[in-house]
Amino acid sequence: MKKHIFLLAALIGLGIGITPAQVQKGSVLIKNATVLTITKGNLESSDVLVQNGIITQVGKNLTAPNGISIIDATGKYLMPGIIDAHSHVGLDVVNEASAPITAEIRMKDVVNPYEIGIYRALAGGVTVSHAMHGSANVIGGQNATLKHRWGSKDPADIIMQDAPRTIKFALGENPTRVHGRGNGIQPRSRMGVEAVIRNGFNEALQYKKAWENYNLAKTQKGNTTTPPAYNERLQTLVDILDGKIIIHCHSYRADEIYMLINVVKDFNIKKLVFQHTNEGFKVAPEIAEYTMGASVFADWWSYKMEVYYSTAYNAAILQKNGALTSINSDSAELIRHLYHEAAKTQRYGGLTDEEALAMITINPAKQLGIEDKVGSIEIGKQADLAIFEGHPLSSYAVPQMTFVDGIKYFDRNSDQLDQRQRVAATEMVEPIYLRANEEAHRCMQDVNSYFEAFQGAFFSEKH
Amino acid sequence: MNKQFLKAGMLGLLVAGWLSQSVWAQSDPTGKRRVTSTYAITNATVFKSPSDPGSKATILIKDGIIVGVGTSLTLPKEAKVIAGDSLFAYPGFIAGDGTMGISKPKDAERPKDFVSSNPPDEIAGITPWRAADDFYTASSSQVEDWRKAGFTISQVLPDGGMLPGKTAILVLGDPKTNNFLNSNVALAANFKSSRGMYPATLAGVMAKFRDVYQNTALILDHERLFASTSGVKRPQVSPTQEAMKAVVQKQQAVLFTAGSELEIRRAIALQKELGFKLILTGLENYETVIDLIKSSGAPVLIKLQLPDEKSIKAQKTEGVTEATKAQYARVKEAYETALKQAALLEKAGILFGFSTADAKASEVHQTLKTMIANGLSQKAALAALTTNPATILGISKVAGTLEKGMLANVILSTDTLFKEETQIKHVVADGYVFDYEIKKKSKKTGTADGKSENSNNAITVEGVWEYTSETPAGSSGGEITIKRDSGVLGGTITYDDPSGSGKASAPIKNASLTGKTLSFEFEVSAGGMSLTVLISGEINGKTMEGALSVPQMGSFPVKATLTSPNLAN
Repeated sequence: MKKHIFLLAALIGLGIGITPAQVQKGSVLIKNATVLTITKGNLESSDVLVQNGIITQVGKNLTAPNGISIIDATGKYLMPGIIDAHSHVGLDVVNEASAPITAEIRMKDVVNPYEIGIYRALAGGVTVSHAMHGSANVIGGQNATLKHRWGSKDPADIIMQDAPRTIKFALGENPTRVHGRGNGIQPRSRMGVEAVIRNGFNEALQYKKAWENYNLAKTQKGNTTTPPAYNERLQTLVDILDGKIIIHCHSYRADEIYMLINVVKDFNIKKLVFQHTNEGFKVAPEIAEYTMGASVFADWWSYKMEVYYSTAYNAAILQKNGALTSINSDSAELIRHLYHEAAKTQRYGGLTDEEALAMITINPAKQLGIEDKVGSIEIGKQADLAIFEGHPLSSYAVPQMTFVDGIKYFDRNSDQLDQRQRVAATEMVEPIYLRANEEAHRCMQDVNSYFEAFQGAFFSEKH
Repeated sequence: MNKQFLKAGMLGLLVAGWLSQSVWAQSDPTGKRRVTSTYAITNATVFKSPSDPGSKATILIKDGIIVGVGTSLTLPKEAKVIAGDSLFAYPGFIAGDGTMGISKPKDAERPKDFVSSNPPDEIAGITPWRAADDFYTASSSQVEDWRKAGFTISQVLPDGGMLPGKTAILVLGDPKTNNFLNSNVALAANFKSSRGMYPATLAGVMAKFRDVYQNTALILDHERLFASTSGVKRPQVSPTQEAMKAVVQKQQAVLFTAGSELEIRRAIALQKELGFKLILTGLENYETVIDLIKSSGAPVLIKLQLPDEKSIKAQKTEGVTEATKAQYARVKEAYETALKQAALLEKAGILFGFSTADAKASEVHQTLKTMIANGLSQKAALAALTTNPATILGISKVAGTLEKGMLANVILSTDTLFKEETQIKHVVADGYVFDYEIKKKSKKTGTADGKSENSNNAITVEGVWEYTSETPAGSSGGEITIKRDSGVLGGTITYDDPSGSGKASAPIKNASLTGKTLSFEFEVSAGGMSLTVLISGEINGKTMEGALSVPQMGSFPVKATLTSPNLAN
């Protein structure tokens, strides 16, 4: 028995050791599953063929080309890999809380492929997560869209390189508390938040003009125009104005949601997704008309003043009003059962299976700008797949296997007690206690230490 | 009027002082002035370079230079002879970098209009204009400690934030002067964020690094335009940009401290993005990125330190579950991998030296032996201590080997290096000879110089010691109470409470008295972390002098006086 475990450990060690430092793509034939395609209905007893990381055939009685492994999924459900549009898993830093605008910050700089949360997310069928900057600043850093290629050592290998750029915005209590109350600078109020955004974009317009003038002038003979200062913060805002970056904005109250809609209209920005959006149900038609929708919690509420006016019907109301809606986790714990969170929209709002599952697959894919690559089971899409025992919206659903680009990264049958990739040579091995981690939410990570450094202010709210 | 007289008076005093001093200097009342600067190490077994199998030869040194190595040298009359017959001579070690003798700059005062979102560079740890030269003290006990371990040259890093300043290369020679070989050598950089201001995190540091770099490149464009065309706005160059120019123009390397594999990847990613010359230093966990390091072409300085064995020793053999045993096995594997890393670098053919920045001088020979026991060849170890750092630092013409014309940096040991019993008897640095006591195996016999210590003269260690220590945060102190309980040393120590005002107290652990040296540890908890502080000092009567060292932070001088001896009585 003991020998067996050691052998396995040795084999796993070997497997990791020879993994080449580049993105792997796999081939597999999954047979006889109930295929929940999300976009093309449900297919009973059907097969999905994956070749070199791409779905190449969906149908009945498919045969595997030579050398492709076959997985019998008889009696099981096959769905597209779950996509979490709001997460902080796999990041070494969440908040650079030191300025109201930190658009130059790149979460891609601080991706940590070793974080065990990535494996745990896979164990919940999640293949893509949106690793976001926190909500301390009005305009936070640029986020990273991650593909959960567990076992990768190079952070670049778990970043979804073909995903568009996104950036974090935050309204309301968090930025006003951190900068206004905490630091005595703008914004101290919701009005200040709006002013920070408008000033930021106006400065960005001037910055853009200055560089355009310089680039035009420098090619002229006898040019005397000197280069403007480089400012990646403003350049990033210029990129937002130019439609190159999708805004993902932390928000709760209806008034501030509507405020931001008006601000982006004024600056002719089209790519906007609201996050949390607890009062979204009050402005659902406006969200539907002008934005890329809202990514909400199934039923989290009341963790601070601005989150009291909440309803578990939020997602359903948004959806019925035509707003693109997704359900997210913002938590290393919730991310493991997003399928269950999606099911809550059936209890509160009576959504269909397809509508509920879309909230954790194709809808978040659209909000991240990756719907042409993932989020449904269709020929030509990347083979991010999850096999479930029981329907994923059932209370008895248990994820069995999870694939990214056709490579199996989670298999319930070969799940080990210790799945960590890396162990420190100086680790003191302590007994493990099972308990709920109430500090799992990381939206305000790195903010406390930032404040303790100069005034000892403490914050208990985390989102 | 009065003032004028005062001034004149002062001047007179100064002149008189200067005169009298120069008169006295002639006869050297200290008795410490060297009789000669010519030395001959005769008939030693000389290893000229890492690949030299060693042969008997005499080394002749004059004015800090090796003027000859051979078997038929004519020794000048003024040569002081060091009989090398039983000694083994090696080139003096070179530390790729270190912080010996470096003090922390004073904290800059915050301006009245300070805004934490946009702090002045100096306060935010961006001080590339600082030079390590200005913060170095040759007479520091740390310099002495490293010299004693065989180190004769080191690159020194300035202390500070993400861009603390420029490094310098110096010879650990005459403690009375700063013996610089090269100043303004490389730009030190690391991922240290600023507390309570921008950049407050690793992510902020990376963004700020890009900002500083790109704006320096632009100011260079601006200067070129200004020089070539009339009617151009005058360039306004900040001190930061001025100091960054050589880096952006790739004349000067960035010496990036990157301990973990992810930090190494981040430093290399920045290098690829911006294109500067990169030297990686302070490497601690790098087994998984050896190929990447190799392809980046960056020379590396690995930490001359191995992981603490504490966690391995704490593993229990009985009463633990299979799951715990499996966890133990993983930690053990990680530990064993860490010991093999240097050998893997050698195998990959990567040019590497050592960083001594966080290491303890007293432990480095043991560390080297452990690395050798885990596959590093002696030749590679010696190269990493001599010729490799000489190449990386660009000083191969003057240091790294024992050849004619090289700086007179020599280690004289009692046997070949890296053997268990080998001790260093002399270190010649910059032509200055430093003698070290050779400890005899048996403690019962008297010491080599005949100063026997009888029981009447035994060292008093028990009692209350009042101590002060000089740390970068200022002077602090407290009381050390030492007691011997059934033969075991123990007690308590008080110290300035890091989390507020007043004193905190902690029990003393692992106390030992070896010869005249008392050493012990205690735990300090600060900011939710527990730090182990080591104090080690030499007792002379009622005083003790030594160092207080904190892992990752360095070692600081400590002095103590025995105020109430013999508590036990």
